[in-house]
Amino acid sequence: MTLPAPASAPAAPPAPGSAPAGPVPGQPGGAVVPAAGPGAGPVPVRRALRVRTVPGWIRLLAGLAVAAVLLVFAAVGLAVGHAREGLRVIGHTAGPQVVTTADLYFALSDMDAQVAALLLTGRESGLGPGRQTMLDRYDERRSQADRAVLQAADLAGGDASAQATVQAVLDGLGRYERLAARALLLDERSGHPAGPPPQAVLDVYRQATDLMRLDLLPKAYNLTLDSGTIVRRAYLAELSSVQQGRLWVGVAGGLALAVLITLQVFLSRRFRRTLNLPALAATVVVAALTVAAAVVLQHESNVLRDAKEDGFNSVLALSRARAIGNTLHGDESRYLLDPQRADTYEQVYLDKSQAVLYVEAGNLDKYYAALDQRISGNKIDFLGLFGTEAAGGLSLPGQFPAFRSVLTGYQEFQRSDRRLRQLATSGARRAAVSEAMGPAFASYDDALVKLTALHRKALDAAVRDGDAALGGWNWLPPAAALAAILLVLVGVRPRLAEYR
Amino acid sequence: MVTLTRTPPGGSGHGRLRRSAGRAPGGRPLRRAAAALAAVAVLVPTAVSCAVGTSILDKETLVVGVKADQPALGVKASDGRYSGFDVDVATYIAGRLGKPVRFVTAPSAQREKMIKNGTVDLVVASYSITAERKTKVAFGGPYYVAHQDTLVRSGESGVSNVRDLRGRKLCQVTGSNSWKRVKEERKIPVDLVPAASYSECVEDLRSGKVDAVSTDDLILTGFATSGTKIVNAPFSDERYGIGIRTGDVDGCEAVNKAITEMYQDGTAKKLLQKWFARSGLALTFTVPQFEGCAEAASAEAE
Repeated sequence: MTLPAPASAPAAPPAPGSAPAGPVPGQPGGAVVPAAGPGAGPVPVRRALRVRTVPGWIRLLAGLAVAAVLLVFAAVGLAVGHAREGLRVIGHTAGPQVVTTADLYFALSDMDAQVAALLLTGRESGLGPGRQTMLDRYDERRSQADRAVLQAADLAGGDASAQATVQAVLDGLGRYERLAARALLLDERSGHPAGPPPQAVLDVYRQATDLMRLDLLPKAYNLTLDSGTIVRRAYLAELSSVQQGRLWVGVAGGLALAVLITLQVFLSRRFRRTLNLPALAATVVVAALTVAAAVVLQHESNVLRDAKEDGFNSVLALSRARAIGNTLHGDESRYLLDPQRADTYEQVYLDKSQAVLYVEAGNLDKYYAALDQRISGNKIDFLGLFGTEAAGGLSLPGQFPAFRSVLTGYQEFQRSDRRLRQLATSGARRAAVSEAMGPAFASYDDALVKLTALHRKALDAAVRDGDAALGGWNWLPPAAALAAILLVLVGVRPRLAEYR
Repeated sequence: MVTLTRTPPGGSGHGRLRRSAGRAPGGRPLRRAAAALAAVAVLVPTAVSCAVGTSILDKETLVVGVKADQPALGVKASDGRYSGFDVDVATYIAGRLGKPVRFVTAPSAQREKMIKNGTVDLVVASYSITAERKTKVAFGGPYYVAHQDTLVRSGESGVSNVRDLRGRKLCQVTGSNSWKRVKEERKIPVDLVPAASYSECVEDLRSGKVDAVSTDDLILTGFATSGTKIVNAPFSDERYGIGIRTGDVDGCEAVNKAITEMYQDGTAKKLLQKWFARSGLALTFTVPQFEGCAEAASAEAE
């Protein structure tokens, strides 16, 4: 369509036929822009025109268009960069670090639990899985811990404090292995029946377990927490940057479109052409880039939220629950193993149980009872790490039954603990040791691993989805911007040539 | 999060802008766009600054609650100055956060209340992390793990273990968790005799009003002078946490970072030796296992 010439074009006659039905149709020129209000708009334009030549105008508008396109490009690039950074932290560095350090904690904690169990069985072979199986499992955990330390060191990257912590764990692990080997050797020589070993063995084991529980495990656990902190901060910062970035892309895109349309209108009127096709193409490119960027950034915001809320939060809470749960199991063995410290191990056991699943209870007996009542009832409204999981809404497919089987597994484990302590206080030591090595803990732990895997899958899927949606956004914005700029230049060049 | 709720006004502004740009192909889109741009530019920084909320990190000065009458942990001198391990730890942490610190007395029974109503920003007052307290306040740290033990008169020969307290008179400090560990957790039938503080308990022990004072070894070493002795049969892990308002995850994480640094740069070891080396306690110089900052469901929801 041909737009009517503005009032500033001296040769243009009023074109009543093509004038839109604006508020003041009779007034020449001013009615082109109904929203602009008659008369007021063209005044500055007219004044500017007096000092500018036509090629000057073309150059100005083309320059503005190029600048606006570059602005769009910059806004898209920045926002996409933030989305990438968010995904990188959650999906590729700190997120995996949570899993690795939790694995490290589990391996370390289970090493100590196996040593305690071995010392507890003494020369008896018929208890639990048997001596050789426990020794094998100890070795397996040791190599698992070694692998996890290396991986954690790798993921710690340039973080000096985390590097120092990983190094300290590695050093401590060597010392622990020596102490544990000595305790096991002394224990084997003593040939005691099931139950607490001789004092000499206990003295060495205390050194080992103190090193593990007071030095190495806290370091591993704090590394997990640190990674959680990094993810939380990155999530908040990058999500808000992506959302603001989306806003800026919209603003810059709108600006660029406005300039391009102005250029189009100016060229049409000035040169009485229908449409400048290259400039139109540039407009389409910019509009497409803006809309596509807005859509992809919205998508990335959702992906970041899914990865954090449905995946990462649960992976972190459940990894911590598993870490603490494993030390619970170890504390049972240690409770039986070391009578002088039995009170402390029992208190620590209750304390950790309440960290995993909090119900109000002043002592273990009340805890067992309150737990039974709470889990048997169908309400899921407790505090602690499982409370965090429940508060997430249990919305993933399969999450509810998986969570239920974790809860019943936990309940069974606590019931077994109750039997164990009753047997121990009534003097049935061998039966208590046998209970400690029963299957209750393993089946609880398996259920927990399955539930965690569900969230890991959700996390990985969200990150993969986010990465995939950003595929091509390396080259797309610069290519589109370059194309738009070239099209603008191609569009105005022949017009400028007319004035040479 | 506040950032998220702030977005809709910005988003609709963006829509408005594009409409006005499309409607005005004539003379003034640039000026309008510029105006809209300026409006957005004003909006965006406010959205960012609103995201912070009330954290100890926003405070000019940190007000820290400490004990006033616990030798070696927190003692208020007659000139009003506080000293002790807890005071040194709080000073170090405030230093790491780059803030000046002011101390006030936080009696055992007042600690949760003082945090909740904002009288103090942090409590560093031999404050054990317990599951029950965690339902009311959050905890940074622990910065140290002490162990509960028992103090008796020097002449006492019948108490070698916490179980020997059966039927004896035990001092009960209001708001403290220690008596619960004996009577509730260990289910040892003791007669509780209330007192306001552990210094009062020790007076009562000397005067014969109670038979035993049972609490953390770090507290007891400060009181163990002539006439009393520590049984040396620890029976719990007391994780000394730094009390902080529930929901201040940023503040809690900053506190944990400071504690990690305190152990990494050797300050923790120096302070522990400064205050407790003479007591003969077996001290631990490695960083404790932290409680973690954002686990309570209520904290996540804030």
